Amino acid sequence: MNRKVAVIGVGNSKFGKRDDVTIKELAWESVKEALEDAGLTQKDIDITVIGSTAYRGTEIYPAPPVSEYCGLVGKSPIRVEAACATGSSAAFTAINLIASGLADIVLAIGVDKMTEVDTSTSLAIGGRGGNYYWEFHMYGTTFPTYYALYATRHMALFGTTEEDMALASVKAHKYATLNEKAHFRNKITVEDVLKSRVISWPIKLLDSSPISDGSATVIFASEEKVRELKIDTPIWVKGIGYSSDTSYIAARGEWVGLEAARDAAAKAYKMAKISPLDIEYATVHDCFTIAEIMAYEDLGFVEKGKGAELLREGQTEKDGKVAVNLFGGLKAKGHPLGATGLSMIYEVTKQLREEAGPVQHSFKRYLALTHNVGGTGHYAYVMIFNR
Amino acid sequence: MDGIPLLFKYTVPDKLYEKFWEGLKRGEIYTTKCKKCGTLYYPPRKDCEKCMSSDMEWVKLSNEGILMTYSVVKQKPQGFENYSDYTVGIARNSDGANLMCWVKGEAKVGKKVRLTTDGQRVICEVIE
Repeated sequence: MNRKVAVIGVGNSKFGKRDDVTIKELAWESVKEALEDAGLTQKDIDITVIGSTAYRGTEIYPAPPVSEYCGLVGKSPIRVEAACATGSSAAFTAINLIASGLADIVLAIGVDKMTEVDTSTSLAIGGRGGNYYWEFHMYGTTFPTYYALYATRHMALFGTTEEDMALASVKAHKYATLNEKAHFRNKITVEDVLKSRVISWPIKLLDSSPISDGSATVIFASEEKVRELKIDTPIWVKGIGYSSDTSYIAARGEWVGLEAARDAAAKAYKMAKISPLDIEYATVHDCFTIAEIMAYEDLGFVEKGKGAELLREGQTEKDGKVAVNLFGGLKAKGHPLGATGLSMIYEVTKQLREEAGPVQHSFKRYLALTHNVGGTGHYAYVMIFNR
Repeated sequence: MDGIPLLFKYTVPDKLYEKFWEGLKRGEIYTTKCKKCGTLYYPPRKDCEKCMSSDMEWVKLSNEGILMTYSVVKQKPQGFENYSDYTVGIARNSDGANLMCWVKGEAKVGKKVRLTTDGQRVICEVIE
């Protein structure tokens, strides 16, 4: 990067079925919190990037109404989209605007109102999250089906079990009980997961992240602005990796890990000049439980096939070898697609600033990572942050 | 309150890969191969992204394959609500093509399958 970039303000709305607000008020909840967190007003913002998948809401062009409501008219020339990695694509765009020298302070808003359509329509939209012509049209694939194809193959090749996958969900719900912004705040057991309704075998209801509404906002600034504003705990962007994969899932040739995530991770580690084992805290894209297990492997925390072992040993719990998703993950915190990637940066920032309250992890080197996947590995962003 | 519904009606090109759709009606699976560099594609393509040629020929795929993975769809999306549960799979055929399919028979990773069609899509039948 030409210039250093830091996170100077973060905000996160309450996630859940938010039928009390439209997408505008929902966005404002996190925008307001981020502006207050940074000690700024809208006047200080050079450019706003809005990430939203939008297709499940009534506002299918949400950027203008959101920017108007948030007092950012004239400053929001772009909306970005990368399926479930939309939030990270907004962060990626914002960081680049600063690194390139085009802007000094950029506000990235991620927002989606996903519960405005019924579940069957939502599944039909998600089923198009690969390739309409060669997948959905003929085979009626749903989004859970794509991850289920990975789960079945991972189970067959490495002996990963449905119980192993359930552990990821149990962990997510346990931590979400401590997060007042989480969609679900109930504890669950392995048995609850195994007994829950099958959606697309082997994926069951409680292996799946919910359809959520929510917003998250992150304000990024250049090094000069960090000094000028006397930000006391800037969180620096140390590395960014990105990649993508085929739309037609069958074309990939193997289905036990996401090549795009591995590629993105390698790029991020190289830029940050660190190794996977240096990471102390990670937010991973657990849209389905198998995705968390594959993420451990794709990020290099363990070798391929050993992800379930790391989970079983409790090494990804608070104060474990690498703490993962202590805010409840996508599974229990919720997964409003546009917000998720920025919500991950919110979490990592809170952790690195030691503002995470009951889920505060203990750091030595203050190195943390976000892993945000769009589609079934159609897009991947890995970002490394430090204090 | 209810929002105003938005109904999308689509028309998709059917002439572009007509040979594929025609083949499905006869139980056969056709795809395209680049005449210039020999790359075999599945699904079929009009253009070769490797050598930039658009001179493609239609070839029939072998019906022998192996089941690589699968999932049983219980909660169906809009457009498929009236189907009973179906199993989506990925089969690798002896030409090296990876095909999405619906699986008939008892699905298991690594099982030999016979690739056919039901007139509308690729079907892979598990060989006992």
